Amino acid sequence: MEAPQYVAARVQRALAEDDRTHELGIRVDVRGDQLFLRGQVTGEEHRRQMERVAQEAAPELHVHNELQVVQVREPGEDEHLD
Amino acid sequence: MSILTELRIAAVGDVHLGDDVQGKYRARLTGIEDRADVLLLAGDLTRHGTIAEGRLVGQEFRDLPVPVVAVLGNHDYHSDLQYEIMSELRDNGIIVLDDESAVITCRGARLGVVGGKGFGGGFAGKCASEFGEREIKNFVHHTRGIADSWQRALKELDTDYKVVLSHYSPVKETLEGEPLEIYPFLGSYLLAEAVDTVGADLILHGHAHKGAEKGMTPGGIRVRNVALPVLGRAYGIYCLSESDSC
Repeated sequence: MEAPQYVAARVQRALAEDDRTHELGIRVDVRGDQLFLRGQVTGEEHRRQMERVAQEAAPELHVHNELQVVQVREPGEDEHLD
Repeated sequence: MSILTELRIAAVGDVHLGDDVQGKYRARLTGIEDRADVLLLAGDLTRHGTIAEGRLVGQEFRDLPVPVVAVLGNHDYHSDLQYEIMSELRDNGIIVLDDESAVITCRGARLGVVGGKGFGGGFAGKCASEFGEREIKNFVHHTRGIADSWQRALKELDTDYKVVLSHYSPVKETLEGEPLEIYPFLGSYLLAEAVDTVGADLILHGHAHKGAEKGMTPGGIRVRNVALPVLGRAYGIYCLSESDSC
């Protein structure tokens, strides 16, 4: 059986290199037959693509998509640098 | 220093625009002229670095009531179309810096912005050097060349305010929250050293989505990580001022 660390690394690499995602800095954890994606992406469709690419890279695992879409709130207070 | 008592700089990076978010970011820019004098974009404006995405970025930031200055990030280089993307942005009235400077006049004061993508290599004492295999030498040489360009450009600037705009980080402090193991891919102290040698009022960067907003160079220049996931808001606003009137 392939070590879970290698499976996680393969998924992480797929998310970075696949033309549909190109997303770096996503946390990928494998526990038994479960795979967890954590981090932030900029859109809902992108979030779904991430799950698809992860699933293809690890078809034998159940993917939990815990990615969040970045919320763009109103600009806040100014910071004064003097 | 000239007559101006405040200069309000809006900044954001890593907006990673794609079809699915088209127009959404633009909506958050309404009223920016009441809050800021200029908008600086710290790279990673696209996801895959395609022309179509570059065009989308151009449309999202065109015709704003304040000048817009941008640098590209590593994502914008991915398809080897960085120069085409730069043209796309320039065609939409955005000033794009590729290791060079631009001077903007804001309400009577002159703001000099120096910058470009930047690059990695790591931080003093824990970094790569120009030694060994050609690939490692090339890696470090690339960063060094960028740092030298910025230093030269800063030296030539004679403006009331000087701001450095980068994608990669010049310091470790604004990376806090990222895994230590990837710091060498997130920035280089050579960038900070170059800026500290000449002096500037502020350094802005993106790239580190899990990093922290605030840091400082060894020389005491304020550094702000304006990556959108770090800010959690449309843009940060930084006021450069000799008085507290901002």
